[in-house]
Amino acid sequence: MSGTDPIFELKHVAKRFGKSRVLANINLQILAGERVALVGPSGAGKSTLLGLLNGTQLPSQGEVWVFGRNLARLSPSQLRQVQRRIGTIYQQLHLVDNLRVIHNLNAGHLGRWSLFKAVVSLFFPLEVETAAQALFKVGIPEKLYERTDQLSGGQKQRVALARVLVQNPIVILADEPISSLDLGRSREIMDLLRDMSEQTGQTLIISLHAIELALSHCQRIIGLRQGRILFDVPAPEVLPEMVEALYRIENARTEPIQKI
Amino acid sequence: MVLTWLTTVNLELSFQSVIWGFGDIIDYSKQYLSPNFSEFLKYVKLMGQTLAIALWGTVLSLIVSLILSPLAAKNISPHPIIYQIVRELLNFLRAIPDLVLALIFVSALGLGPLPGLLALGLHTSGFLGKFFAESMERVKPGIYEALKATGASFFQIAMFAAWPSILQEVAGYTLYIFDRNVRVATILGLVGAGGIGLELSATFGFFRYDQASALILIIMITIIVIDYLSIWLRKRIS
Repeated sequence: MSGTDPIFELKHVAKRFGKSRVLANINLQILAGERVALVGPSGAGKSTLLGLLNGTQLPSQGEVWVFGRNLARLSPSQLRQVQRRIGTIYQQLHLVDNLRVIHNLNAGHLGRWSLFKAVVSLFFPLEVETAAQALFKVGIPEKLYERTDQLSGGQKQRVALARVLVQNPIVILADEPISSLDLGRSREIMDLLRDMSEQTGQTLIISLHAIELALSHCQRIIGLRQGRILFDVPAPEVLPEMVEALYRIENARTEPIQKI
Repeated sequence: MVLTWLTTVNLELSFQSVIWGFGDIIDYSKQYLSPNFSEFLKYVKLMGQTLAIALWGTVLSLIVSLILSPLAAKNISPHPIIYQIVRELLNFLRAIPDLVLALIFVSALGLGPLPGLLALGLHTSGFLGKFFAESMERVKPGIYEALKATGASFFQIAMFAAWPSILQEVAGYTLYIFDRNVRVATILGLVGAGGIGLELSATFGFFRYDQASALILIIMITIIVIDYLSIWLRKRIS
């Protein structure tokens, strides 16, 4: 895939859950190697957009093209082939607490592994070297055989990151990966994500609340508000007014009540 | 009141006979007061067989539900039709009493512990399968979504997310089912499906209440011991 082909292309995409409209008429192209931040207030549709990109959700209208293929037209096994090349980091991490760290890391292989290999690995961990390296990169190599529920919040966040390293995808999607961490930890995780994408050329799409970190770590900023794209510009071109407009709408709803 | 009276008439229950027969009941009960342990070793062997039936029946139902539960969990089942079919299958297994299953297997396979084991295993698969499926439905949905997003297949999701997430429940429910299976296995012998129940019904048949008394004592003690063991085990697990 050449650098100019879009990795993701959304054409007139809308998404509804029941009667509520979450996304409306989204048109978007994301190229290989870009580092994109999705910013916007809670409920703007950032998580839904990421769900559309990794194929866990399908649009109500429009088309989502990933690696040049329309996701809605793929068979389940073809979809899996696309998904194994997309790594997703979730806000709630979604690690299995009862498993040791090594198994949570090896879950990153599942898109490639046969069922047999996966089952064997639960009893006799396979590809330990890859897992150990990933854990080393995120800075907690000593936790490889620890049970996941014994780790702190920040350590779990690193395990979730390492799981994506093990998966070694072409694209990394991250859904508010730092919202539960303090500023210092947030910066460390953002540095890690940026370095990963710089070293390997991986495309990074990350939804964030912290606008400063979005500006300092990403090249392109997409502002989402009430399911629509408000702006989509290179990071240096983001003006304070734009950010204000992005969040002001949300405040306008609550302020009149306080004024009365 | 009327309903109670009607049902009493219908069943030909007579409280008179309870009162008038009171002396007989006392007399009859006295025969149990001197348990006869002359065949103690044989009884213990039979009790051991009963425990083995219960144990292997539980193992069988664990294996069956290992495969069926993920299919019967609404949030990970690969297809709504598969989900419905497996749910109905589990309901069906729960609906047939294990004694009836044992009768069927005894006529098909002959007397012995094997039909008992199969009957217990299949019947309790209906329970364990449903329990586990419902536990899997309570797991945080994101854990499944995260694996699905890496391209994991249904069985991989079952092995890497569903089963590990409900380990504590699996241990608790399985112990409970084993506990129950021991109690049921003691009477499976009544229909010829092996274990101590056959001996028990034989002693009644020959009016050997002293021997029956010994058997009942052995069964009671075993069940109490297992009860305490499983309480202790469950505490250790949680």
